Amino acid sequence: MKKRILSIGLALTMLAALLAGCGSKSATWKVTCPWAPSGVAAMVSQKAAAKSTEYSKDITLVAEAIKGDAATVNTWVMDTKANDTELVFVGEGLLSITSILDPAKLQFGYEDFVFVENLYSSVFVLSADAKLNIKSIADLEAYVQGGNEISVAVNGAVGSEAFLAAALFGSMGAGDKLKLTPYQSAAEAAQAVAKGETNFAVSHQSQILETFQQNGVTIVCAFDQDDIADGPFAGVEGVGKHGYPFFRNRCFIMARAGTDAAKVSALKELYGKILADKEVADWLQDTMLLEVDTMSQADVEAHVENVKNIVNEYKDIVAG
Amino acid sequence: MLEFIGPASGLLFTLENILWINIGVFIGSVFAAIPGLTVILCVILFLPFTYQMTAIPGMMFLLGIYCAGGYGGSVSAILINTPGTPHAAATMLDGHPLSKQGRTKAALKIALYASTFGGVFSALMLLFLGPQVARVAAQLGTAEYFMVCLFGLTIIAGVSGKSMIKGVISACIGLLLSCVGSDPMTGYDRLTFGVGRLYLGLDLAVCLIGLFALVEILSKAELKPDALHLDAKKMEDNGVITKEEYKRMARPVLLSSLIGSLVGIIPGTGASEASWFSYNTAKNMSKHPEEFGHGSVEGIAAAESANNAVTGATLIPLLTLGIPGDGTVAIMLSALMINGLNPGLSLFTTDGDIMYAIMLGLILVNLFMLLQGKFLTRLFAKVVSIPQEILTPIIVIFCFAGAYSVNKNYFDVKVALVFAVIAWVLRKLDMPAVPILLGMVLGNMTETNFRRALLISNGSPAIFFSSIYCIIFLVLIVVAVGTIVRGKLNERKAAQAAGKEP
Repeated sequence: MKKRILSIGLALTMLAALLAGCGSKSATWKVTCPWAPSGVAAMVSQKAAAKSTEYSKDITLVAEAIKGDAATVNTWVMDTKANDTELVFVGEGLLSITSILDPAKLQFGYEDFVFVENLYSSVFVLSADAKLNIKSIADLEAYVQGGNEISVAVNGAVGSEAFLAAALFGSMGAGDKLKLTPYQSAAEAAQAVAKGETNFAVSHQSQILETFQQNGVTIVCAFDQDDIADGPFAGVEGVGKHGYPFFRNRCFIMARAGTDAAKVSALKELYGKILADKEVADWLQDTMLLEVDTMSQADVEAHVENVKNIVNEYKDIVAG
Repeated sequence: MLEFIGPASGLLFTLENILWINIGVFIGSVFAAIPGLTVILCVILFLPFTYQMTAIPGMMFLLGIYCAGGYGGSVSAILINTPGTPHAAATMLDGHPLSKQGRTKAALKIALYASTFGGVFSALMLLFLGPQVARVAAQLGTAEYFMVCLFGLTIIAGVSGKSMIKGVISACIGLLLSCVGSDPMTGYDRLTFGVGRLYLGLDLAVCLIGLFALVEILSKAELKPDALHLDAKKMEDNGVITKEEYKRMARPVLLSSLIGSLVGIIPGTGASEASWFSYNTAKNMSKHPEEFGHGSVEGIAAAESANNAVTGATLIPLLTLGIPGDGTVAIMLSALMINGLNPGLSLFTTDGDIMYAIMLGLILVNLFMLLQGKFLTRLFAKVVSIPQEILTPIIVIFCFAGAYSVNKNYFDVKVALVFAVIAWVLRKLDMPAVPILLGMVLGNMTETNFRRALLISNGSPAIFFSSIYCIIFLVLIVVAVGTIVRGKLNERKAAQAAGKEP
């Protein structure tokens, strides 16, 4: 008897929940992250999704990560049409690097998307084996001029990190001496330098933090215009100040091209509120060591072009 | 450490945590028991739930899934000769034959007890030796990783069946298949034939479905209806494990727990490698190696204790160095970071109570896995009493659903079907499928580390002899190869003595 009552109760509750759902005007937007579910972008996306219901009654964000980069975005473009409640992340890796090095891999173009917002901005850092005692750009220049070996651990053979290393050492005139050693994850690359497998590594700040705190590496410079202002790496010099090329790592949230401007605007407004939330901003800054960096369409195009210029200039160093 | 145990216990022993552990354990056990639904997929699916929780209940929930998933994969391996997860493949070699002997319950119980022992062993290792062991593991570089892989490839001989040549051919097919996708060192595509879906390579979970599950269905289709009738012997299964069997299991369980823990500490390796290493070691050390592959209790115990011993060990580099030990743990990292905890040794000083609560919680998770497993074993064991004409279509549906769910596309379903056909053809040629799996598990890692090591050393092979760890692995490889050759010679002598050439 008890079981029957419980079953009927459960069925009624489910029915009530279903009916309540039918009456709601809320739209659920699925946000696909085409990179590792454990990566920085996926984590920030999950955090934003968890916050979405606090700031909107009409839009609920659901974060999903399907590793696959170009393949995942290809499928997303094939499977969606204008006004579908689907969003996808695209970064400079696809728009500026793959589009030049291996365009056949992409079955989409920038015109297939409409920009919603930039989720975060990450300043990569160059770390060095602690034994080398390289702590500034001046030290690095002296090291390079001394004709020493330059091996850099990077995440993936042709990723953003590889191009940042190529741009820095290439513009120092040491492109021909640069040996890029690809690893299969950013965490692995960050560890390689501490093990002494390479002299340098390029990584997100959060990925090298623990090794830095254990004195396994020194932080040489940041791939940004100015010095890092806050956090555990405050004071680390920006390469831009010394005239070296750089770009920040960004994560653009895109809707399918043709989606109503009002919907895009509502999404942008929601992301704006989430990213302005003090808890989110503090978490991004203190734990993830990232920055809130909302952008306009023009900013995105400028970023894509800047990275494309760097890729075109240094692709021979990276891709041979 | 002791100053944190009290506060950590206070944080851990709450009704909320106990509840989440049990929900996680239940979900993990059932999810992993279904072919294609891997532990990593389960953790990804349920990760968003943890974002509404604080760090400890969130981690307890995910650890529940992770640990129970290690055990759950063995269920389908034993019942239907299909590993629920890739790391249960070694369990399948003896688990299913034992089930076919009418001892399904016993096989499931052995898997459960061994899994629990392995899990608790590695949880204790994490608690008492975590930071020290992690520092040593962090010294292992690319060359050492390659030697680990090379050692792993010696296992092929142990799983080749009657003909080592055929086993090696199968393993080569596996190694070739592991090359499909982007070249890890250059980013260029290999063997993708312009198919976009292959850029990322072949998914192991999808291939497993074709190689082991669907091929079984094809084989059943060839049988006469009479052969599909239920074996009455299976219905009389009392699940008893004898004292003698417990005694025989003791050594492999202990040794495999140690192997699993050591493998788990090395980032990038995982439960699959651990279970194969342990299985092979147990076979080499057993007084009854001839029973392996035919329902050996030692084989099941070795594979299962090893793959669950990995669970605690993979947390060692994560919690102490901030380096995730495997893919699933990497996802758990986000459950910590979303709560503002950036794992690493410094966290033991700033949030030591939370760190120790998580480590103590892992022991608790394993104990609840044992309790739930005892109940679930009775339920799972009933699967063998389902008539084939009902069970087979259900398995097919689960296989297709599992293949689809890995990346949520139909391409993977087609891949599973292609692998089923390949496996069926290989079966007709009497070639074993397990070495293919082994080649696929180790192929990418072997190649990447080999090429990267040579890149680091500017092409000098001396890098493979450059550290004490490399030398240790080299000795292990020589011993393993020596044992294989001696075993084969003994087999030949025995066959000659019996008057027939093998």
